[in-house]
Amino acid sequence: MRLSRRRFLMTTGTAAAGLAAPHWRIDAAAYEPGLSSAIKNELADIAVALARQLGASYGDIRINRYRIERISTRERQVQDVSLDQTFGFGVRVLVKGSWGFASSSEVTPDEVRRVTQEAVDIAKANASRQRKPVQFLEVPAVKANWRSAFKEDPFDVPIEQNIATLLKVNEAALAVSGVGFVNSSIAWVNEQKFYASTDGSRIEQYIIRGYPDFTVTAVDRGAGDFQTRDALGGPQGMGYEYLRNHDWVKEAKTAGEEAVMKLKAKRVTPGKYDLVLHPSHLWLTIHESVGHSTELDRALGFEANYAGTSFLTPDKAGKLQFGARHVNFFADRTQPAGLATVAYDDEGVPGQKWYLVRDGVFVDWQTTRDLAPLIGRKNSYGCLHSQSWRDVPFPRMPNVSLEPGKEDVSLDQLVADVENGILIYGNGSFSIDQQRYNFQFGGQTFWEIKQGKITGMLRDVAYQSRTTDFWNSCDGLGGQSTYALGGSFTDGKGEPPQSNAVSHGCPVARFRNVNVLNTDSKQGGGTGAETC
Amino acid sequence: MLTERETRKICDTLLELTKADDAVVDVSERIGGNQRFAANAFNTNGSSRERRFSITVWMDKRRGSASGTEFDDAALRRAAEQAEHIAKLSPVDVEYLPTLGPQKYKPVNGFVDATAQLSAAWRAKQLGGILGQCDKANVVGAGIFQSGAVSRASATRHGNFEFEQSTSASLSMTARTPDGTSSGYGLHNHFDVDRLDIAGVARRAVEKAQAGRDAQRLEPGVYPVILEPQAVGDILGFFGRAFDARNADEGRSPMSAPGGKTLLGRPVFDPKINFYSDPWHPELPGSQAAQDGVPAQKVHLVRGGTVENLAYSRFWAEKSGKEPTPGPVNQIFESTGATHSLTEMIAGAERALLLTRFWYIRMVNPRTQLLTGLTRDGVWLVENGKVKHPVRNFRFNQSVMQMLAPGNVEMIGKPERVGGLYPALKLKAFTFSSESDAV
Repeated sequence: MRLSRRRFLMTTGTAAAGLAAPHWRIDAAAYEPGLSSAIKNELADIAVALARQLGASYGDIRINRYRIERISTRERQVQDVSLDQTFGFGVRVLVKGSWGFASSSEVTPDEVRRVTQEAVDIAKANASRQRKPVQFLEVPAVKANWRSAFKEDPFDVPIEQNIATLLKVNEAALAVSGVGFVNSSIAWVNEQKFYASTDGSRIEQYIIRGYPDFTVTAVDRGAGDFQTRDALGGPQGMGYEYLRNHDWVKEAKTAGEEAVMKLKAKRVTPGKYDLVLHPSHLWLTIHESVGHSTELDRALGFEANYAGTSFLTPDKAGKLQFGARHVNFFADRTQPAGLATVAYDDEGVPGQKWYLVRDGVFVDWQTTRDLAPLIGRKNSYGCLHSQSWRDVPFPRMPNVSLEPGKEDVSLDQLVADVENGILIYGNGSFSIDQQRYNFQFGGQTFWEIKQGKITGMLRDVAYQSRTTDFWNSCDGLGGQSTYALGGSFTDGKGEPPQSNAVSHGCPVARFRNVNVLNTDSKQGGGTGAETC
Repeated sequence: MLTERETRKICDTLLELTKADDAVVDVSERIGGNQRFAANAFNTNGSSRERRFSITVWMDKRRGSASGTEFDDAALRRAAEQAEHIAKLSPVDVEYLPTLGPQKYKPVNGFVDATAQLSAAWRAKQLGGILGQCDKANVVGAGIFQSGAVSRASATRHGNFEFEQSTSASLSMTARTPDGTSSGYGLHNHFDVDRLDIAGVARRAVEKAQAGRDAQRLEPGVYPVILEPQAVGDILGFFGRAFDARNADEGRSPMSAPGGKTLLGRPVFDPKINFYSDPWHPELPGSQAAQDGVPAQKVHLVRGGTVENLAYSRFWAEKSGKEPTPGPVNQIFESTGATHSLTEMIAGAERALLLTRFWYIRMVNPRTQLLTGLTRDGVWLVENGKVKHPVRNFRFNQSVMQMLAPGNVEMIGKPERVGGLYPALKLKAFTFSSESDAV
């Protein structure tokens, strides 16, 4: 069957007629309606049948559209407003125990045939030299249509509302004496994903994510110094309600005051401190030290050339005391507002929740259909993901979160039991080694704690530790009321590198006796740090 | 691949579709293939073909942009209307400058048809050979071979049009000993696959892994170091961005100076250092077009250790009474005079650490360009002119400004293609802040 472009447009035009007009639809032609389910299914039929005919034991096709709306401003001006779209498909096949993947932006029946043939040719070229045939789990066929749990689709909200909010944010920051600059931005992402496989699955998902952000800069030109304070909110798997409900303008004023305060803040003295870490900071430490270390593909050496391996080798599951006994980490692809929340992953496995660390012991991995059999598992946790139709799907991180304490302990209660410590908000500089042992994190604001009281602001703070030392030094967790979700819009992994959005929830938490260094090179460039 | 004629036709169509006062359109096609290997077996792979366009319009100096991958008339028209719609809703773009009229470009030679046409079977054969070498050497190999080609065109309402094609091929590989106690790394890339040193990449990775066994502990601290070209390329990845003129003038850059001044014209770096961009470099061709289509030129950011240029955007140049900077379009770091081989650097070292590369480098202090990161895939102690033994990895916290300061750079090697063109460096002092267990 050959579908003409005219037929595509006729069909999609009909499909669009029943939808509410988004703001892009200033007139009918300005609306990009997408391809109808019927046509996607017809294209899928072609790919699946041809893959089977050419000898594939498994095959899938993903036909996806990605929309990204970006607005960026500085001070009192808008710098850029853009709507980027990319539409295409990728075909993945398993032939004689080897993978083949090919993709194209030309979504036509003939191109689907060409690309499917190319994917099979790649798999066959590799099969002749493949030493370890891929083992692949069977999963039940699924028919599903799912939308992520946003309340207001940001692509239906007039663009000027977004612009107005950003300019108000900028104005609030600039009203603070001493603030020199402010940059603000919003990125809204919509993924329209269609997946079909030789399993018989047909899954459509409509996903929304948002990332409002700002950076306020205070400059001391006389001293040649400048300090910044970024927004603490971060990206969320939410719609326009995130921009509407969070008080960005109030936070921008606070950020301006804190950026100015940082210029004159007391410089930290390197040494050992107790740390109280706010969720706006701790999510990133979880991401790097827990999220990535529990990826099974890393543990098996599949990422050895770039992202690295993991100190959590397969023999450590169920044995290694990863953290203190009250430390529990769970993975969850169903978490509300999670950036990695989906109904199904990119090979038809349902989103689910499971523990990675329980009672402080490392217990489990992040898996996919071809990873799980390598450790004797009969089910996948659904962690396969691709950043686009263009790229091959591979194991990516689900939302990984730290459970709050059983009692509703507050931030103030955790601070009260610290004699000499630092309270840290927001994520700053971050770095961790290729096996996830040694890490260093900065932050946005640092507050000195003396005898249980916050006594003032510090600057130039970073801490270094070793993953298991750090999590075993955790002696206090905030309760559910302190729990919040942070996350990354662009977590990189793989070759060629791919980006993944992922959330990490956590309560405020306290860590004892952590190594802190001063990051102002005039003060020693970190040489005051001790060995971790 | 899209030809010049085809891209011109699409550009003309897009420009005709908008009634905006001013517009710039871009059209590109990117084809590519890759094959990964890990644990001495083939891993994921991919072959991709993507055509893209973008359109940016200004209506009464209000700006809007849209892009897409669908090229039928209706899709192009929708994108033009979306861009116009955004422009109508946007405030005036106070940094608007009219798009460029016709420009003259000196072509860059960075396209080789054989590189664009590489097949999956050819890739599999090459990587199959590498897996065989890993078996023989008793190491565990992981890596990626990538190749691709890009056709790209840009056109403006005011009559400029430019088109160019480029290719790339690269191989990187990590070899690890089966017990996981040592690893080595190699990387090479080129626009001509026939000049890609496939055997050399595999040899370096394997030799380093084999030589790195039984690494010993060494206290962190300040050490003289010999950085191999890959390590220099890694740590100078942020360096080019430090030269933005606007940030320097606004007082928020390592190129800002007290009193509202900048470091332009000052001897900030070691006098042996040149750092520049050259679109026509035979080993590292850049693009014929710099920012907004300004014809690219050779630009020295640092010459003889002195900051010779900061990078002015068209807007900031207009505001500052300067010319827009015709680059950078690539990064080349080289010695102003004599160069030294790694062997000479080692022979001349009383005590130093020899480093293969760095990993997970992040900015800690943008004012001083203080970076943190870790060593990876091979650290050796050099004593009395000889490589003594491998050393375990470190975390570093080091200011690039201090690292390249006068007096800290003892020797500079010949540049090699490791992303940009970077030489080995022998440095008097480099700060390691803690030890890492990672291999």
